[in-house]
Order: sequence, then structure tokens, then C-alpha cells
Amino acid sequence: MSQPSASIPTAARTRQLRACLLCSIIQTPVDFRRNGCPNCEELMQMKGSPDRIQACTTTYFDGIIANIDPEQSWVSRWQRTSKYVRGMYAVRVKGRIPEDVEAELDSRGIKYRPRDQTDQD
Amino acid sequence: MSDIEDDQQYANQSSDPVRPDEEDEGMEEERPRQKSSKQRRREYNEEEEEEEDEDEDEDDEDEGYSRGKKRQKRAHRRPGVNRFLDVEAEVDDDEEDIEDDEEAELARDAFIADVAGEGDEDDLARRSLHHARLDRRERELDDQDLVRIARDISQRNKRSTAHYTGDMNDIPQRLLMPDVKDANLWQVRCKPGRERDLVFSLMRKAIDLEFSNRPLQILSAFQRDSLVGMIYVEARSQKQVAEACNGLVGVYLSRSINLVPIEEMSSLLQIKKQELTVTPGSWVRIRRGKYQGDLAQVMDITENGEEVGLKFIPRIDLNPKDELSPDGKKRKKAGISVNTGVRPPQRFFSFEDVVKVYGRKSVSKRNQVFVFQNDTYKDGFIEKDYKISGLILENVNPTLDEITRFARGADVADGENSVDLSIIAEASRKAAIAVLQPGDHVEVFEGEQAGVRGTVETIAQDTVTINPVGVDLEGQKVEVPARSVRKRFKPGDHVKVMAGKNADETGLVVAVSDNVVTFISDMSMQEVSVFSKDLREASEVGASTNIVGNYELHDLVQLDQQTVGVIFKTERDSFRVLDQNGQTRLVQPHQISMRRDSNRAIATDSEGHELRINDNVKEIDGEGRKGRVLHIHQSFFAFLHNRDIAENGGVFITRARSLASLAPKGNAMKPGTDLSKMNPAMSGGGMVGSGNIGRGPRDRLIGVSVTVVKGPHKGYNGLIKDTNGPVARVELNTGNKVITIDKDKLRRRNPNGKLEPLEGGGFGGMGPPRNPGSFGAGRTPNPYAQLSRTPAWGGGVQGRTPNPYADGGRTPAWSSSSRTPNPYAQDSGRTPAWSSSSKTPNPYASDSGSGAWGASSRTPNPYSSSGGNSGGGTLGGATPGHQPDNSDGWSSEPWAWTVPTPGPWAPTPAVAPTPASISYNAKTPWAVSDMTAETPAPSGGFHTSADEDELPNEWLLDTDLKSKRRGLSVRVSGTMGSSPGLWIWDDGRHEGLEGKILGVQEGTTFENTTAMVSGIEPPVPIKYLVPVRPKRARGKVVVLYGKHKGKDASLRDGGGGVWLIELENSVLDDIPEDRICLWEVPASDLN
Repeated sequence: MSQPSASIPTAARTRQLRACLLCSIIQTPVDFRRNGCPNCEELMQMKGSPDRIQACTTTYFDGIIANIDPEQSWVSRWQRTSKYVRGMYAVRVKGRIPEDVEAELDSRGIKYRPRDQTDQD
Repeated sequence: MSDIEDDQQYANQSSDPVRPDEEDEGMEEERPRQKSSKQRRREYNEEEEEEEDEDEDEDDEDEGYSRGKKRQKRAHRRPGVNRFLDVEAEVDDDEEDIEDDEEAELARDAFIADVAGEGDEDDLARRSLHHARLDRRERELDDQDLVRIARDISQRNKRSTAHYTGDMNDIPQRLLMPDVKDANLWQVRCKPGRERDLVFSLMRKAIDLEFSNRPLQILSAFQRDSLVGMIYVEARSQKQVAEACNGLVGVYLSRSINLVPIEEMSSLLQIKKQELTVTPGSWVRIRRGKYQGDLAQVMDITENGEEVGLKFIPRIDLNPKDELSPDGKKRKKAGISVNTGVRPPQRFFSFEDVVKVYGRKSVSKRNQVFVFQNDTYKDGFIEKDYKISGLILENVNPTLDEITRFARGADVADGENSVDLSIIAEASRKAAIAVLQPGDHVEVFEGEQAGVRGTVETIAQDTVTINPVGVDLEGQKVEVPARSVRKRFKPGDHVKVMAGKNADETGLVVAVSDNVVTFISDMSMQEVSVFSKDLREASEVGASTNIVGNYELHDLVQLDQQTVGVIFKTERDSFRVLDQNGQTRLVQPHQISMRRDSNRAIATDSEGHELRINDNVKEIDGEGRKGRVLHIHQSFFAFLHNRDIAENGGVFITRARSLASLAPKGNAMKPGTDLSKMNPAMSGGGMVGSGNIGRGPRDRLIGVSVTVVKGPHKGYNGLIKDTNGPVARVELNTGNKVITIDKDKLRRRNPNGKLEPLEGGGFGGMGPPRNPGSFGAGRTPNPYAQLSRTPAWGGGVQGRTPNPYADGGRTPAWSSSSRTPNPYAQDSGRTPAWSSSSKTPNPYASDSGSGAWGASSRTPNPYSSSGGNSGGGTLGGATPGHQPDNSDGWSSEPWAWTVPTPGPWAPTPAVAPTPASISYNAKTPWAVSDMTAETPAPSGGFHTSADEDELPNEWLLDTDLKSKRRGLSVRVSGTMGSSPGLWIWDDGRHEGLEGKILGVQEGTTFENTTAMVSGIEPPVPIKYLVPVRPKRARGKVVVLYGKHKGKDASLRDGGGGVWLIELENSVLDDIPEDRICLWEVPASDLN
């Protein structure tokens, strides 16, 4: 049960919360800047870069998931967050990742799935 | 492990205390690459060097006995020596915490190189030492608590995911559907608004309790914004959910925790908010701020979809509040804070206008774009970025008006950029779904079924089932998405607008283009274009509501004083009214002054029967129309209604007399019935034809001209149009404005400009015209009137008379003379007189009594005071119509001659002494009193005084002048026959001769009266004699008429037709030239 956790935002209601466009994790902008995205920092490189945070995260998301046990949870499997750290995730995230990230994913042969539930298969 | 520790590790590797000596000694040349890398490493770790050194010292000391972290660290620090397992592990370990790839590479390169290098040079002693350490470390590891190990492992796992693989992305979503092995979702009720907090709380609670005795066993929890008041918890059992939620604020555990069926689980995560997507070109509305509710068009969208670039019509305040300082900055600021007051109207950005108001500096231009107050303006539009959350994306419903405004703006900019209506169509399509109803005729316009037409069978969510009409699909039911269908209308359909600006309009479709339907309105007969989604087929005509404002269909309404009408049609905000003259008009509610109630009105039909409203009647002549009586007006007009008549909504007007009841009434009058009882004209009150049925007498104040003396309109003049209790509606002479104002603030304005209280003097002014009866009374030389006046005059001081009427009677005289400093005049002309007259009873009342009293009570009449005729005003006051004549002279006053006795004039001497009459103006009638004052003989005086204004022909015969006759200088004039009424006398040979009158030979008539004039032979008929005016300020003159008539005086000075004369007792006065005649005291008189 011991798993790494993302930092959990303290204030749930704040409009500041931002969701990563790729992994849908929800953090405060401060956390994004300090630690980057715990799941996809490798691609996003948001740590210490407000501009990247602005581009790679959004406040426009709907639904919040407390991902307590990603490995076991069907919800996180459905959301494709099973392999991610524990933390708060958004159900839907509006927007697409920046093109450079998308290109990088493409070059690695990883299919990009937008988190806005536009294409379901 | 903390970051600091990691850093220290790097440092330790770079500056290993064991290695440097050897490396520096011999290996340098052989391993240049290594060295360089080492240097790199050095540089990188420069800052940390110090700290590291300290650390090392410590480590050295601790070596051998310290445990735990330090030990471990030390072990890590020895990787170079040990070439086995540890090495790789260390690499991994390092990689985990490095900040980015570059650093990682760097560290790895250096490290591996080190290892390689180290392999060549063996130091046995050191190696054995290292082995010993390894052993020890293994022991230490055994000692470490299991938790720590577990954490390490998990960290290692985490490290592997840090490299983003997207490993689950290839699995189709459907394969992720839950199955029975998965945990269940449980719906938990909670306080609305607390959902997010609860999910967060659950997360924190789970972490907090993770290592406790009773960790939470839920797997996840989530919330959806669209599902208010509930959260979902994923757990294997309900009990686990209950435990997890226990103690959280806002969770309603008392309400059951419901299991979500497996098939519904995925739906919960697939809920989409409606219409979240915006595309360039789509319409949105701005949610708040200055542009709240304004329509805007999306131009572009930022990558993350958070912000959209909008263009819309700006609202620039072109009348910004003036700032105290003319400094541009201040002004600019003021422009920004538009929050106060009304927001400026939508107006396309105009460089000229803005520059005019804000100054040239405020606007900068960058190629095609203006920048003003940090906003960009292009083609008149403002272009601005908005957050999506600040926009209304749903139910935008742009109206055609708004769109066309946009289009206009675009046209101005460049013609081709006109707005495509299909964009609106797109935007409004969503809304179209909502307005579909079963039975609607629709057509499918997109998708596989495009072109299919039919009627809507059912609507389920976003799917409509259509019963297709025509071709091969007939009989089958087709399901299509609601957004793909639109209502179908064809020319000729009768439709009704359900929503929007034209709501409730009905009409006949004349054109359909895509989803814009044009129809001719039934009401306005104008073409109206609306979206088909807003239309329904309907057979009804006209608005569904028959009430506009306070008025309803078929109400009898008063349009103006003379006109009433019946509303036969209501439109959106106006009426069609058929008035009593049979004319129809379009009337706005505000044009209707009142609603008339004719419920109790009665008229007489052609057979003499009583006619009431709601009777069914028939015309006996003309078209023979039948109908139901809607209203009766003035017992004469009857408004009938008959649905069968298309014209004017079935309402028409006839005369009551030409109607016959369809169903004769039982209460038909017997022949003997006294019809006069029903005749309102005979029942008194004179109401018939007055247009004022059912109302009391018209307010006396209506029509009075007034001046406002208080309030914002102070000083304005106007007419009272209406009164209601203490307030009056006054139509101002200026500004064509009707104001409502307290009567207290009004003063009656007399024609002579004087103001008086509104109510007090009102009677006289209003009474006469409306009460012809009093006219005669006023003319009647009622003895009371004279009697009443007599004592008053006799008393000499009007104030003493106990009779208020007498006071009133005299007032005009006083008031006319009030221009002089006479205290009496002041008194009588002003308040006291009026107050006395105001004490008189209501004219209506007095009319019913004695006409004479009424007449006198009416004397404070503005007319009489203006006319200013003395005492006579009493009589004349009642007849204002005659008053203007007064100024022309008494002779034109017919009534003056009807007075049988000169009595009224006789008392005038009482007035004479008053200095009030100093005025010499012959034209002013009040001078009369002076003339007569001197005349003790009533008869003659009266007669002559009738022509006081100018020199009479027979002036020489004037009794007043008789004593002064001799010695008057005269000139012969008019003997040439050139003057009217004068024939040639003595061939005109004496014309222009001057002489002094020596004597007058009075004949039987004026004609044959002659005068002996010195120097002229024979005696001259006096009609040819005119007085000689003085030429120098010397000698004596006689005043021929007017003030001082008959007196002789010495000329003192003169000029401009006016002479200063000195009367007896050294009284000086000015007198016009034509009133005096040069006079030389006859020699005989001197003796």
C-alpha cells in the first residue's frame, strides 16, 4: 500500500488548481513549479517554468478523483492513471498538450489520448 | 531520501578522498577523457564542495562505527571500488533524484568512467577494506526496518514510471470496462457544494491513515461537477465506504450508500458537460463585466482551450466623466473605471471619435490595429482574450439583430467578411433541440438520413424518432440525433413565433431559406425573418395575449377629449382602436388617457327600447349587421362586435338609434312612459353633448394659465391641463412639456402678467364663459349693485364699507390705478381686494342666486382689472368679451349706455382727489374718472366724458372750458374740404389763419355755432377751429381735456410734444402738446 503520492492541494475549492493535460493530475501551480508533474515531468518539464505550466496544465477540468490506490482501482484504470502516483486527478481535462510534447510522444510511439473524452474507443 | 543528501552523494563521488592522489600522480595523461569529465563534474559541484568536505571529515571519523544513514551513505560513496552489483544500483539510485536528463547523463558518464578507470589500478588494501564494509552493510540492511525497505522498493518502482511510457494508452477504452472482479462504486450523498472538499478529505485521510492500524480500504473517490450532492467511492464493500466517510463533514451517511451498477460505472466518468467546445467563428456571450451579455464571436482558441480570442462590439464611453485635472493619464484612468452608472452603448470603434474624447495620445495604431486602453480594436471591433469560464457558451441564441450588427461592422471593414448565417444556425442548433415537440414537421439536414422529412414521433434525450413522410422510408421510424433535424416550414404555412423578440407574432410563411423563415406578420403586415426553431405551426391569429399594459381587447378607451374608441386588436405593444367616428388608429398604451366603463350606460334603440351593453342587436338600416353591444358611448354611439365580420376584428360602430334588439326585452317601455326621464338632457345638468358623462363639472382650473413659483420649474408659464387633488398637470409654454406639480407651487397668471393665488381668483376668470346665464345678469343694471356701491363710494374709503361686494366692485379701478404710489391702490390692487373677493362665494353658487351679486363677485376678474374701467367694471366684469373694447373708449361700450342712470359715474368724484390718478395718459380709460370728477353735472359730464381720449370736435363747447373760452388761440382748419365731414367753407380763404376767440355764438346745433375770431371775418363755425399749440415755453395755456381739464396753466418748459406746465398753486405737470391750447387772458378779464 505504500506508494508515492503527489502533493495534495490543501484547498479544494480554490480556482487555482490546475490539471496536467497529459496525466490529468491536479496540483496547485506552486506544486507544479516546485516539483513538476509527478508523472510526466520527463515530457512536460514544468518544474520551475511557469510558462510551461501555463501551457501544459489547465484550470479547465471537470470532476476530481482521489486516486488512493491506483494499482487496484478500476477508476484509475479507466482513467489510465494506474501507473501514476497517488493523488488527485481530474476526470476530464480540457485542452491538448503542447505540440512539442505531442511530437515527442509520437516519436516514442506512444499514442496520445487527450483527456477531454472527445475520442472514445 | 532528501535532496540534500542526494547532492552530497554527487559531491562525494566527485571528490572521493581516497582516490585523488593516485589519479593525479600517474593516470592523468592516460585518461584524458576521464579527467575532462571529472573537471566537468567538479565545475558542476563547485558550490557544494565546502559542505561536502565537512561531510567527508565526519564520515571519516564515523567510519567503522556509525550506522544508519551515514553508513549507508558511506557505502554509496564507495561505488568506484566495487565493480559489482552495487555500481549499477548506485547509478539507478542517482538517476532517480536528478533534476533533469542532462544532469543525469553528466553524472552517469563521469561515474562510469571513474569505474572504468579504477578497474585498472588496484589497491588491494582499499579493496579489502571495501569488502569488509560490504559485509557490514549487509548486516546493516538486515537491521533496517522493513518499512524502509518497502519504501525503497516503491521508490524504485516510481522511478520506473517517471519515464513516461504511456503504456496503457494503446488499450481501447472499451477493454477497460469494469468487470466483476473490480471493486464497486458507491454513491454517497453529501451536502451540495461539499463534493470537492470531501474527495480531497478522503485523499488526505487515506494518506494519513495509511500506516495506522486501520488504513482506509477505499481505492478511490471522485466527484463530478454535474452531479451535485453526491460523491462516488470505489471500494470492495459498503462497510469500507462507510468507514472511510465516517467523520467527514458534509457526508450524509444516514442516507443510504448506494451501489452503482457495473454497467453504469463508466458512464459516471464519461459525463460530459454540455457544449463545452468552442470553435472559431462560434458565438458566445460574455458572462460578466462591462460587456455582460454581449454577443461575441470566437476568433481563436489557445492551445489548452482555456482562453479564447473574441471579437465583439466595444462599449467605449465617449462621454467620460470630466476629470479635475486635464492631464491625460488621469483621464485615461477615468475611462477605465466605467463601473459607475450606465454602461456606454455598443458602438463600433471609431478612431476619430475616440481621439476626440480621449486625446490623440490615448490611441496608438499598429498597422491595421488600434490600441486603446490596452485593448485592441480592429475594424471597429474590440478583440480581446477571455477565459472560457467567463463566457456563456450555451444558449447563446444570437438574434438576427445582433448578427446583422456584426455583419454591418464587418461590412464597413471589408465587404467580403460578411457574417455567414450558417454560423448562427450552428450556434442555435443546440437550442433547436429543446424546442422540438412531437408532431413537428422536421427534416433531417445532415448525416445519413439527410433529406428525410417527417413528423416528430418522440423525443428522447438527444434522439428524435421521426415518422418519415414520402418515398421508401414511409412507415418506418427513423431515429436521428436531434441536432441533425430542423423544423420544416413551407411557404403558405401559418406560423407563430414562440420565442425571441417577435414572440407571439403570427403570420404566413412566404419564404424559407435553410433555417431562416420569413413570414408576413398578421398584425403588422410586415415581413419578419426568424429562425425556424423559434416557429411553430399555429392556426391562431394575433397575439396570444390580449392585454397590453392596463388595457385589454375590447376595452373602451378615451383617446382624447373628444374621442373614445374600442380596442379591437392588440399588438405587441400597441393597439388598434376603432374610434367613435369609425376610424381606426394605431395607439400606443401611453396615448390612452383612460379606460371608460360603459357597463351602466344606457341608450335607446330605434324602437325606444332600452339598450345596454351585451345586448344582441341588429342594424335596422344600412348593412343590417348584427352584433353584440360592446360599449355605448354618450347614449348615442354603440360599439358592436360580431365575429363574423372580418374587418376591424369584428368591431364596428353604429348609432344606437339605428339598432333594434334581436330579442325584445320584457321591460319594453309602455307608450305612456315619460321618455324625458330618460333623457339626460332634460334631467338637468346639461350633460348631453358635453362629452363629460359621468363626471362632475370640469375642473375650473383646467385651462387656466399659470406660472410656477416654486421648484425646478420656477418661473415657467403654462396652462393647467388637468388637476387631481392637490396636484395639477401643467403644460409648459416652453419646451412643450407637461409636468405634474403641486397646486401650491402655481399661481394664476393674469393676462396683465400679474400673479395671484390659484384658487382664489379663479372664479371670475372661469365663470363667465361657462355660465352664459350670468351674462345677462351682469348686464342688468341691478339696483343692488349700484346701491351696494354707492355707500361705499360715499364713504370715500373703500375699506370702510362693510360690503365685500362693493369692495370687489371697486377693485378694478383701484388696481388699475395701482401703478401710482397710491396706498389705496396698492391695497386694493393687491391682496386685500383679492382676499375680499375671494371671500365671495363660489360663482356657481352665486349664479344660482342673484346675478348681480355674481357679477360683482366676479370683479376680481383679470379682464376687468386689465381693462381697468372704474366702477363700470362691476358691470363689465361679467362680460369679459367686452372688456378689451374699454381701452378704445367708452363710446364703444354698449352697455355703458344702457345704464339708465348715470349713477355709477356720479360717485366718481370720491375718487378724484386721490393722487392715484396723476397719470395723464389719455388713452387709459381710468382718466375718465378724473374728468368726471370735475364735472358736478352728471348729464353733460357723462356725455362728454365718453370721448375723453381725444379732442372732440365740439371742444369749444365743453362746459369745462367755457370760462376759458375767450382768449384761446385757434386756427382755421379744414375749410378746404379736404377733411372728412367738413365742407368747404368760405372758399377756404381763411384756412390756416390764427386768431383768438373773442366770443362764441351758440347756435341751435353744433353746426351753426360760430365763433368770433380776432382777425378773421366773418365768424368761423367752430368745427373749423382747432386749438393752437404753444411753440415756445412762454405764455399760458388751457388744458383742453384729460387731467387738469379746463385749467389754465403757465408753460414752463417743453419739447418733444410734451410741455411742463405750472398749474395754480405752483403744481407742475407734464402734459402732451395736443391737450393744451395757447391762451391769452382776455383783456377784459384782467380788469
